[in-house]
Amino acid sequence: MRRSFFWENMRIALMELWAHKTRTILTGTGIVIGIVAVSLMSTLINGVDRLFEKSMEFLGKDVLYVERWEWFGNEDWWTMRNRPRINLEDAEEIQDRSEYALAVATERFRSADLSYREKKAESISIHGASYNYMDVSTMDIAKGRFFTASEDRTGAQVMLLGSEVAKNLFPNESPIEKTVLAGSYHFRVIGVLEEMGKFMGAFSMDTQVLIPVGTFNKIFHGPWGMRRITVKVPKDHIEDAKEELEGIMRVLRGLKPDEKNDFAVNQQEAFRQQYQAIKLAIGGTGLIITALSLIVGGIGIANIMFVSVTERTREIGVRKALGATRSQIQGQFLIEAMVITGSGGLFGLLMSVGISFAIDKLVFPASMSIGVAVMAIVLSAVIGLVSGLAPARKGASLDPIEALRYE
Amino acid sequence: MSLIEVKDLYKIYEMGSTEVRALNGVSVSIEKNEYISIMGPSGSGKSTLMNLVGCLDSPTRGDFFLDGTNVANMTEDELAEVRNRKIGFVFQTFNLLPKSTALRNVELPLIYNGSIHKSERNAMAESALARVGLEDRMDHKPNELSGGQRQRVAVARALVNNPAIILADEPTGNLDSKTGEEIMILLDELHAQGNTIVLVTHEEYIAKHARRIVRLLDGKISEDFVVH
Repeated sequence: MRRSFFWENMRIALMELWAHKTRTILTGTGIVIGIVAVSLMSTLINGVDRLFEKSMEFLGKDVLYVERWEWFGNEDWWTMRNRPRINLEDAEEIQDRSEYALAVATERFRSADLSYREKKAESISIHGASYNYMDVSTMDIAKGRFFTASEDRTGAQVMLLGSEVAKNLFPNESPIEKTVLAGSYHFRVIGVLEEMGKFMGAFSMDTQVLIPVGTFNKIFHGPWGMRRITVKVPKDHIEDAKEELEGIMRVLRGLKPDEKNDFAVNQQEAFRQQYQAIKLAIGGTGLIITALSLIVGGIGIANIMFVSVTERTREIGVRKALGATRSQIQGQFLIEAMVITGSGGLFGLLMSVGISFAIDKLVFPASMSIGVAVMAIVLSAVIGLVSGLAPARKGASLDPIEALRYE
Repeated sequence: MSLIEVKDLYKIYEMGSTEVRALNGVSVSIEKNEYISIMGPSGSGKSTLMNLVGCLDSPTRGDFFLDGTNVANMTEDELAEVRNRKIGFVFQTFNLLPKSTALRNVELPLIYNGSIHKSERNAMAESALARVGLEDRMDHKPNELSGGQRQRVAVARALVNNPAIILADEPTGNLDSKTGEEIMILLDELHAQGNTIVLVTHEEYIAKHARRIVRLLDGKISEDFVVH
């Protein structure tokens, strides 16, 4: 099609659509709704993605966790619960034997009641970590300092507070150098952790307190609570490091070649895989369902274009008698369909931007990406092309003699 | 060679098992600046001949030379171009686009003529409207014009591309006799200015405006004579 003809067809389309304003608005609304549905769905999926990525940050992509339980494993619950406990002394062996390990930290968890003067907090998660924990963690310290190797070794009763804990026990004063009671033990507060936010919208690191694992071992004896060895590895050798770590653990556990692992080496990837599967199921289904609304909109366009072609049979006859070719007539109706869907798409996109802005402010982190915007525009143009094609071809193939005679 | 050279033209329609010979061997030549009426009762093949001369249709058999080129075997797109450049249609029912102004209606053939630049169109359409005496009605839409004025717009549209022939199919059929006469006088003037006019009508008094009358009967030419 010649360039000048494109604009001519555009002019005809705008004139025609203006002449049938109500019809144009009604059919266009179908596309608006479809585009809003599809682009909001994509935006929400993107939002969930970002939320997930943000949540994942604290686990660290390049960190391996040696634990008793597999994250999202398919292992039998009974088998897993009867596995031997993780022996934290293995950490030294791992450090010695591993070529990949950059840092090996140990962690223990349990809960205890916490109090400061008359303020009490029941069942606070006590997180024991080795002095080098900061090397494997993404945690930051907001105030104060972390404990030293010697404090860890000697079992000093020092503590770092999660941001929520600090806020609630010490609403009006600095917690540093104050004494907090955990169970029946006194701890000196030496620092406050940076706020981490909730992990996957649920579990929060901000409601725990951190003490040296040496102190943990000394005062909370007994087998309870989860233990793990946390190993930081080079980013580009995660898989190799994992394999090596499993090998070392098997040796330390004295497993025979035909015996299964009686421990788990977990990594962020497990969350990711689980998440991807859920995302594919929910997001994919959601997109397909919303795409249906767009298809319904497209059918509406095709329908109205057929009506338009029939109504304008005479006009087509006149245009053909005056020298319009088949492709010029086809272009005329195609452009008309695309103007409806294109402007519907544009309008729908603007609405979606507004709605996702509101969602972002009120409910959930969501902002429309350029990709979604481009997709919405391309999609609406394609819908116009597809739904306009059959009517346009019908119009273009009319016999001029019969079209001129049409009443 | 003549402007229009029709040689042994057949148009045969298959209607089930029977065939209808709408044109059954028609030969006719029309010279430049002729003013000719094609007449005949309905079913005589008059409309079929007009459609073929207007390049709206292709013959089953035979040759049709228009301005030196044989259009009998042209493709649809080639015919569209011939219609655009060589033929100016005037229809009984005017066939103006109702939502466009007189000026836009007259411009229409120029839009489909790729060799005319956009900037020239306006001036050409204005001068065509001036030739039919409607220079002060250019921005009116068809429903704001009288029947006679609408047909004048249609004549201007037929003229604007400077075609080889003006093909008028019952141009007065939808007009009262006084207005019809005015349109015929306009066509007479166009002929006097050098245009070739082919008139299709069944009205004797309209046909008499032409200088030559061709009568069709049963798909054949039954009479072909010059009017004095």
